[in-house]
Amino acid sequence: MSTFPERSLLKESLSVVTILAFFQMVGQFFWTRANKSAVAQLTMSKIIKYHKIIGYIVVMVLLIHPFLLVLPRLFESGVAPVDAFVTIITTLHRGVVLGLIAWSLMLALAVMSLVRKRLPMQYKTWRVVHGMLAMVFAIIAAWHVINLGRHSTLVMSLFISMLTGGGVLFLLKTYMLKKKKTSEA
Amino acid sequence: MSIEHIKGCIGCGICVQTCPTDVLRQDVKTKKAFIKYPADCQICHLCRMYCPVDAITISPEKSIPVVVSWG
Amino acid sequence: MKSSQPKPDMSRRKFMALAGGTAGLAAMAAMGLSPEQGECSPNIPAIDVDKMTYAENEADVLVIGGGMAGLFAAVKAHDAGSKVMLVSKGRLGASGQTPFAKGIFAFDSSSEKMTLDEFVATVTRSALGTNNQVYTRQMAEHSLARINELREWGFFESPLYNKNFTKPIKERNIALKERIVITHLIKENGSVAGAAGFSQDEEKILIFKAKSVILCTGAGGFKPNGFPICDLTHDGTVMAYNIGAKVTGKEWNDGHPGRAKNAAACFDGWHGMFERKPGITGVEVHHDLGVDLNYKVYATGNAVKMGPPGAGGREVVAGGPYVPEEFKRRNGPPQGEKGPRGGRPPEREGGAPPPGMGEEPVGGSSAGMAIHKSEGLVPINDKCESNIPGLYAAGDALGSYMAGAIYTQIGSSLAGSAVQGAVAGQSASEYCRGVEMPAISEAKMDEVREEILAPLKRESGYSPAWVTQTLQGIMIPNFIIYIKKERLLKAALAYVEELREHHLPMLRAADLHELRLAFETANMIISAEMKLKASLMRTESRCSHFRLDYPEMDTENWNAWINIYKGSDGSMQFEKQPFDSWPT
Ligand SMILES: Cc1cc2nc3c(=O)[nH]c(=O)nc-3n(C[C@H](O)[C@H](O)[C@H](O)COP(=O)(O)OP(=O)(O)OC[C@H]3O[C@@H](n4cnc5c(N)ncnc54)[C@H](O)[C@@H]3O)c2cc1C
Ligand code: HEM
Ligand code: HEM
Ligand code: SF4
Ligand code: SF4
Repeated sequence: MSTFPERSLLKESLSVVTILAFFQMVGQFFWTRANKSAVAQLTMSKIIKYHKIIGYIVVMVLLIHPFLLVLPRLFESGVAPVDAFVTIITTLHRGVVLGLIAWSLMLALAVMSLVRKRLPMQYKTWRVVHGMLAMVFAIIAAWHVINLGRHSTLVMSLFISMLTGGGVLFLLKTYMLKKKKTSEA
Repeated sequence: MSIEHIKGCIGCGICVQTCPTDVLRQDVKTKKAFIKYPADCQICHLCRMYCPVDAITISPEKSIPVVVSWG
Repeated sequence: MKSSQPKPDMSRRKFMALAGGTAGLAAMAAMGLSPEQGECSPNIPAIDVDKMTYAENEADVLVIGGGMAGLFAAVKAHDAGSKVMLVSKGRLGASGQTPFAKGIFAFDSSSEKMTLDEFVATVTRSALGTNNQVYTRQMAEHSLARINELREWGFFESPLYNKNFTKPIKERNIALKERIVITHLIKENGSVAGAAGFSQDEEKILIFKAKSVILCTGAGGFKPNGFPICDLTHDGTVMAYNIGAKVTGKEWNDGHPGRAKNAAACFDGWHGMFERKPGITGVEVHHDLGVDLNYKVYATGNAVKMGPPGAGGREVVAGGPYVPEEFKRRNGPPQGEKGPRGGRPPEREGGAPPPGMGEEPVGGSSAGMAIHKSEGLVPINDKCESNIPGLYAAGDALGSYMAGAIYTQIGSSLAGSAVQGAVAGQSASEYCRGVEMPAISEAKMDEVREEILAPLKRESGYSPAWVTQTLQGIMIPNFIIYIKKERLLKAALAYVEELREHHLPMLRAADLHELRLAFETANMIISAEMKLKASLMRTESRCSHFRLDYPEMDTENWNAWINIYKGSDGSMQFEKQPFDSWPT
């Protein structure tokens, strides 16, 4: 049996934080009014509050995730963190490009939420735009994670696909039902 | 095995260029690095140190018999 | 995919037991010939030989090798006004031995207590006259200037050298080609005319036309376990020998031990030294890491575990290699080319000891390599020039005897490569001014191409990995190159000659990686033959060459270096060159 050095606690923790953030982010689909059955006991304002708090935290973590990747290099020898970062974002590998797109979409999502009240659109329109943006973002982010993640084993990848797919379908379902309802009325 | 595995690779190709003994190659399709000639790994860790995402794990064990002068 | 890599077919433990045992040669031979790896088997190429493309390149000065010497050769040749191209088998600053050296010597006359003359005299005393004082002095004299340039490029700020080596090359727009294995030097009308090789990334043969070539290809070894030199197989030396250059230094030995646990793990054996930033060393002359430890183990068995650095385990054993009184160490194991002393090594103090120190050692971690700068092309003057017009060499590829035939000044190997690279670059550039761009005949190019492609075209043959293992089995086990005896040297020689005659012409390759291995294996076989023959010829003991049957130093007959060259009939010829003289 081979014995090889385990990754340091710092590196492993950073990975775990990133992965947890990612899952929480997908979880956002379920922390909405769409998921009435599960969140029935909570009042709507509470759901929105949770959704917002979690949203902002998770977005913060994932926004700095590209920097967290190279952070451990500060404490060990090897390529300098800045050089490593430049190499990463200038490598036009599919996974990295997906990450960059996801990162930008995520930023857009966060900014749109921050300045919601100042946007010249109705709440309902905003919600749909937010929901659509969230779907595109989640799909691209999931693709990125499956493509690049060092912990993305086959099982993990299947799990990510199912969860993300589930979230997206969930939202689509509400949109469909809503449309039906409006046309009926 | 000497060089163990590569995980989280972004396909930058730096390790392939860096390895003095030409152990690594990039997959034509995915661009990801893989260990093509493990028997030639001299366990020097250069690839690991140069990898921007620290994707490479190396063990101290050589994959082929080790010849020494005396022991 | 078909590859002829050997499969691990025997446990390491069992193998080491065999290799270390008295049955050494025979056992290794028997093992090496196990049919799985050894059978002369069909070659199923993974690449299409007919699709190989060709490219021609031209430069005034062609620098081969991307280590410390190659860097300075390219920079200085450029600065002297030449059009330069730098090619290397590996990546700039990340191949050869340079990436692993962390202590560089600077002779700073403003702070040293010793004068330059005294320094040269001290090295000469430790080297027992084996050093070429002209090169010892040149190294010390120019070291500080080179170090200041390195500092400007950011050398001392990172443990990895690629970025700071690339800086001066990019600034000067010097053409750089990496991962090109040079296999041939080309000579036309008595002068060097260029070189040829192939790419490891694309199916391409490259011909380089140049007025002058500087070999900065480093030293080499038998792909030993425990030293990060498995990419170096004395390619420069053998290529130059093949076109008529004189080479030297094959009888000397780097005597570094390794450590028993995971002997092949260079990184672990050097205790993380590879991760350090480089630092500067001052005057500190030793008489180190020849074969003394090997002798002690030979005489007493590997019973005495080396104590922790500075502790015991160094009690004197009668006989064995002579160490001048002045340089005897009273405490502590030899440190060799260790890391910086007063520099700024993070964590560890006092520099990491070489592998095997402070733990159970095994022998032969650098097997096949001589003392840095003692082996390589014979210089005909102080300008790093070889006996082939237009062909220069610098650093570990030049047999300058800068440090002598034993490790003397700590950190001088790296400094010497820098200094000699610069000297060679400058002189090659001057040489170019007087000559036309040589023409390489079609016939010559065809011949070289055919030779490069031969292992790929061979329908059956021996896998380079197997031949290498067989060679290792002959040259590494059982003290053969450390505690030398005529009988054993001759036995090994018979076997190596067989490899040269029979196996070398039948090396096969299925892809570009194996093609590289084929050439490396061939070069190792030639080096092994040189090593054994030079060792047999030198009937005395001195510095890092120890003959059990001639244990004394012989100043009457052997105040001389051994030069090796190819005779007109293709045979390996030897000559003596008295110390402190240039070749005739
Ligand atoms: C582990 C270790 C620790 C060391 N520590 C120190 C130290 O602390 N201080 C010190 O002074 N010295 C030290 N040394 C020695 C020092 O590293 C060398 O003497 C020095 O780096 C040699 O530099 P070079 O440029 O002459 O050759 P190298 O650095 O060996 O470079 C050779 C170059 O030639 C290229 N090359 C080889 N063959 C071919 C070919 N066929 N085609 C194309 N290119 C080719 C290689 O790719 C490489 O780029 C150490 C060596 C080792 C192995
Ligand atoms: C940046 C932080 C975020 C904030 C402040 C935020 C805020 C909101 C708010 C206020 C709503 C409306 C809730 C409602 O009316 O029911 C909402 C809905 C929603 N959010 Fe977020 N959100 C954030 C991040 C995310 C993320 C990261 C995702 C998913 C990846 C997401 C997915 C959704 C979905 C699917 C809806 C429901 C849309 C709809 O019902 O049409 N949100 N969000
Ligand atoms: C600038 C944009 C981004 C870059 C350059 C980037 C880069 C990378 C790289 C190189 C990896 C593989 C390294 C490793 O697994 O340790 C990775 C993994 C990952 N990324 Fe990103 N990423 C970006 C944006 C994002 C975004 C927006 C998300 C989330 C929504 C995200 C989520 C993840 C996750 C969850 C992993 C898996 C970590 C693991 O398996 O350990 N990334 N990213
Ligand atoms: S250096 Fe790292 S990221 Fe780049 S190709 Fe190699 S393993 Fe992949
Ligand atoms: S450890 Fe060294 S030899 Fe092994 S794959 Fe990495 S760079 Fe190559």
